[in-house]
Amino acid sequence: MTPDNGSFMTAAYVVLGVLYAGYTAWVWRKGRD
Amino acid sequence: MTTVESARAAVRTSRLLLGVALLLVAALYVRALAFTPVEAMQGPAQKIFYVHVPSAWTAFVAFVVVGACSVLYLVMRDIRLDRLAAASAEVGTVFTTGVLLSGPMWGKPIWGTWWTWDARLTSTLFLWFIFFGYLVLRGAVREPGQRARFSAVLGILGALLVPFIHMSVKLFRTLHPQPVVMNPDGPTLPGSMLATLLFGVFAFTIFYAGLVWQRYAQLTLEDAHAAAAAESER
Amino acid sequence: MLRQAWIIAAKDLRLEFRSRTAFLSSLVFTALVLAIFNFARDPTVLSGTDLAPGILWITFSFAGLLGLNRAFALERENRTLDGLLLAPVDRTALYLGKALANLVFVGTVEAVALPLFALFFNVPLLPVLAPLLAVVALATVGFVAIGTLLSAIAVNTRFAELMLPVLMLPFLVPPITGAVQLTARVFSGRPFAELSAWLKLLVGYDIVVVLAAFLVFEYTLDE
Repeated sequence: MTPDNGSFMTAAYVVLGVLYAGYTAWVWRKGRD
Repeated sequence: MTTVESARAAVRTSRLLLGVALLLVAALYVRALAFTPVEAMQGPAQKIFYVHVPSAWTAFVAFVVVGACSVLYLVMRDIRLDRLAAASAEVGTVFTTGVLLSGPMWGKPIWGTWWTWDARLTSTLFLWFIFFGYLVLRGAVREPGQRARFSAVLGILGALLVPFIHMSVKLFRTLHPQPVVMNPDGPTLPGSMLATLLFGVFAFTIFYAGLVWQRYAQLTLEDAHAAAAAESER
Repeated sequence: MLRQAWIIAAKDLRLEFRSRTAFLSSLVFTALVLAIFNFARDPTVLSGTDLAPGILWITFSFAGLLGLNRAFALERENRTLDGLLLAPVDRTALYLGKALANLVFVGTVEAVALPLFALFFNVPLLPVLAPLLAVVALATVGFVAIGTLLSAIAVNTRFAELMLPVLMLPFLVPPITGAVQLTARVFSGRPFAELSAWLKLLVGYDIVVVLAAFLVFEYTLDE
């Protein structure tokens, strides 16, 4: 029986996505100055 | 081309690599979430593996780059090495944060606990503290030559520390037997999962390179501006 | 080179004991921390002997950090470092001298704190005095070695008092962990075999830190 822990997966992918996308956006904007 | 102009060009070019990297990471997300089978015993949470491990890999690469640049800077005194170290430390901190965030989110469903003081997670935690200390130190020293020297010393010391932290934790834990846990990243990964993992490592490596190159180019541009301003004042 | 180191250490220590304020405040601080720890636990749940090694070493760490900070701050206040650098002093001798002075300072604070600790927490020290002092010496050497090096950097930064602990604390994990584990085993009279692994770690750390300091200390000084 496969455990029902998809919420952890979603949370991790979202959190990391926000972290990495956020940092990339910050770096990108810095390059525009 | 003046120094400022060539620095600006470098910023533009590295953005291309960063753009490609973003596409690769997006592709990883799609592949991991939609096109990789779910592991039967661990469930969907196992897929955190495909972003957690590449993050740890890039944090490790960033750390090695900082250490190497630190040693080389003290030997060669080339300020470009200091810039590369600074860029790598900043990017490394971000990826280490990613490891520390994804680790517990993977640990809770798989091991039943948010945190465990095992060798890898603990070493990563202290890696974060070393990166953080490195960035704080750089922020607190004004003169660029002094900043480069101090950062290099701290970079070398940090590189020497991590193996000792690892040994301390290993020693600590051999005397406190831990419950037997599943080994989610065992060597026997079925083909599709292994391919996703390898693609993840590849995508994140390009991501690291793009971010570091862009930051390095920006730091070069800042220094070029400062030098040009100093020139015109004369 | 050793002679130069002794001279530098003696100078530092003479300065220190002439003013005495730093030394006395470190002592009082140590006593206070030990006393506060008594109130930080529920004696009906946790016995003093369980926590004692940890309490001892946290106290030593705090007191040590205080002592290290003052070492180079004193130098910076009096601008005597510039004078030292102009003189034909071997850079490594400078490090060794400062480290020795710090060692004496921290060691003296520990020497007073230890009986106090035994008193407050009812820990019989005399039966295990020799191995305990060995552990304290080894851990303190590692602590002072890395601390002297890092304070040479920290004193040049904007927020020196905050910078030193931030930089130092990760580096204290191996020696303090080793010290606590060894102290706990010494207190409970464990056989030597159970201590050897941690001892190797502690000694290895001391050697690596001292060697690294010899190599990189000169880079912490302005040319």
